[in-house]
Amino acid sequence: MSVWQEKLPQSDVWLVGVDGRLDQTLNPKLEEVLNELLDNDHFNLLVDLSRTTYINSGGLRCLVSAWRRAKANEGSLALCGLNSRLQEIFSMVGFDKVFEIYEDCSQARSRAKPQTRS
Amino acid sequence: MVDERVLTVPGSYKEIRRICEFVAAGAAQAGFDETTIFHLELCCDEASTNIIEHAYGEEGVGNIVIRYRLSDDDFTIVMQDNGQAFDPGAVPPPPAIAKNEASAEELTSQLRIGGLGLHFIRNLMDEVHFTSDRRQGNQLIMIKKLNAS
Repeated sequence: MSVWQEKLPQSDVWLVGVDGRLDQTLNPKLEEVLNELLDNDHFNLLVDLSRTTYINSGGLRCLVSAWRRAKANEGSLALCGLNSRLQEIFSMVGFDKVFEIYEDCSQARSRAKPQTRS
Repeated sequence: MVDERVLTVPGSYKEIRRICEFVAAGAAQAGFDETTIFHLELCCDEASTNIIEHAYGEEGVGNIVIRYRLSDDDFTIVMQDNGQAFDPGAVPPPPAIAKNEASAEELTSQLRIGGLGLHFIRNLMDEVHFTSDRRQGNQLIMIKKLNAS
């Protein structure tokens, strides 16, 4: 179970990946990684959930909190690679309409915005 | 056929995984598919978090007792604690979710008032009941019908 990050090449987008269950054990780590990026003015984020097997309300809260911070700073937080169970959880609370969600993470990576912020 | 199992754990966040695994094992025995087992794990996760945060107020205050019972018709999960009474039925659904055309701002600002976990429990279980008395403490009863999965 881990959270990793990488800057996408030729872009100002940072990718954050979650490997495992987004529960009480991993949520604090994800929150820490996202907040550290946002604290360093990286407001264009892509969260790869293709290796995420579970999410609870705390995990949703963590993603939404980062989405709000990114949006407030003219950035974005998109998601990719959700399995059908995670998709169901997001749609059950309407968050499928909030986040930009890519089915395929390689598609999301290729659509990452070119670096435009000064 | 009636099968019943009981697990008692301290009311702390690190024990929630064990609660989920305990219930998932029973649900697998009941023959539920993986998606339904995922739903049951999520409901027990959210109910456990509510017990720690609302009934006990913090970690390490008291135990959580989890009991599941498998009958011919349904799978019943009972979660018991001795904290402050917290009736999930008294908490209204998050207002933005109840609206069909809620904006992103409305949907995400609801997180300030919580209620997402209860929303999952209400929507994923077939029946939810809550009782509270001095002798037995608080009991949250969540039922999943066997033929509805």
